[in-house]
Amino acid sequence: MKRFREPLFVLLLVFFLQSCAGWAKNMDYHPFDASKLDKLTPGKSTVAQVTEMLGAPSNIVKLSNGNAYIYRRSLSKGTGIWLLIVSFGNYDKHYDQIVIFFDKKNIMTHYGVTLDANKAAYGLPF
Amino acid sequence: MVSPFKIFPFFIYLFIVCSLMTGCVSYRVIKAVEGRSVPNIFEEFRVGTTTLQEALEALGAPDQVAELEGKDVLIYRKSLLANSGLSFGIPLTDIWGSGFDFSAYGELVRYDLVLLFFTPEGMLSNIASEKGSRYPYLKTIFSDKKGN
Repeated sequence: MKRFREPLFVLLLVFFLQSCAGWAKNMDYHPFDASKLDKLTPGKSTVAQVTEMLGAPSNIVKLSNGNAYIYRRSLSKGTGIWLLIVSFGNYDKHYDQIVIFFDKKNIMTHYGVTLDANKAAYGLPF
Repeated sequence: MVSPFKIFPFFIYLFIVCSLMTGCVSYRVIKAVEGRSVPNIFEEFRVGTTTLQEALEALGAPDQVAELEGKDVLIYRKSLLANSGLSFGIPLTDIWGSGFDFSAYGELVRYDLVLLFFTPEGMLSNIASEKGSRYPYLKTIFSDKKGN
């Protein structure tokens, strides 16, 4: 078996020298302030108060009985590995989202929160 | 001592072939996931009794909101992209004028979706769901059936 060591070592060295790996991170993101979310009161908070607290929404959708203001942040992480003739890529994207429902008088009726962006992870595609 | 390279020229040939083949032959596997898993908690929802407030508390903020024929729709979605490809070619265009190239690849995007329809009063009126991720990538790619 000793006779194999030298060629095997050379092969492994060449293999790893020709390999490459990369990581990427893309943030459309700054975290929502959780303390501000506690101040949202259905039936009381107005559009003006909400936009003052959270800023401009990412999107506004007209609904049957008012509007929905959508606040969205995203975090994505990508991983790439190249091994000679084989390459692997993985891309994971998650969101923090707040959707606030207003009636026609611009009073908040409901809101939903999902804080999931920190679950974006590097990895392999298996 | 006799060098193992003289005894095992196979390794040298393998090294040369691997070096030359790099860039000519490639196989890639790519996976892209966007969004969170859609929980099955919506199965507990009941049309006519579940409210918008209860749905938001259970599932969180929807990925999309829309109005459809007087009803408000909450859409929860996760997308899963799988891509794999094999290509083989010898780039002789600079010295030969043309080279041969063979490639095959497949790409499949599947969606896990839950749509909740609410009346303007905030009462659940309909549920629609689809779990595309249950379809295996290779089996789906090689299937002749439409929609599978």
